[in-house]
Amino acid sequence: MNTHPYLRAYLAGVFVPTLVLPLLLTFVILRFVLQVPVPVEQALIFPMAVVPLLWGLWNVLWLWSAPRTHLPLGLHGAILPFLLMPVGATLATCLGVLAIGSHGVTWFQVCHVPYTLIAPMFLVAVAGYYLVWKYIVGALNRVLGIA
Amino acid sequence: MNAHHEDRLKKLLQQALPPVEAEPEPGRDLWPAMLRRLDARQAAPLRFWAWFDAALLAGLAAFAALVPASIPVFLYYL
Repeated sequence: MNTHPYLRAYLAGVFVPTLVLPLLLTFVILRFVLQVPVPVEQALIFPMAVVPLLWGLWNVLWLWSAPRTHLPLGLHGAILPFLLMPVGATLATCLGVLAIGSHGVTWFQVCHVPYTLIAPMFLVAVAGYYLVWKYIVGALNRVLGIA
Repeated sequence: MNAHHEDRLKKLLQQALPPVEAEPEPGRDLWPAMLRRLDARQAAPLRFWAWFDAALLAGLAAFAALVPASIPVFLYYL
């Protein structure tokens, strides 16, 4: 198990976003079966293409940098939202998934989030990423023999 | 040093040092107590982090329950 550690780190990193993808099928069903006007096609680009790639590369980066930084995996994962959130928001704005209003933002044309909730949501996302990286990605890294 | 001096030195040493008992081991096994102390020392920070993480998880669940509109946004970023 000493061969290709970065490949194994990448695969461990993409595991969680890959599991979340079937949950996004709910939105596909809402869009095409129940005819709810949610822009699914544009919304799926980021979680299907960008998020798994960045998670995999982030785990590879941790494996490469951990011997020097000694940063725990949970904290390393908690840094990822600082990169993902701006990228995701920019892409969502360009694709029409996120609309910026005077009192808040509207996601998927249906979820209105006031500006006062954006900072708490970001903190919650950081906490969630910390837990997922510490427990799930950490366990996968141990199973694959890279932690 | 001749034999007389050696005998004298031997006697002086025997007088100065306390006699070793027949069974120099302690009355009970100290290793289990040592292991308990080591485990307690290691478990203390782990217990703190377990509580911290559980509190974070509870906070996440509470936030998702209070602001359901945040759930699809979080799924978008996962």
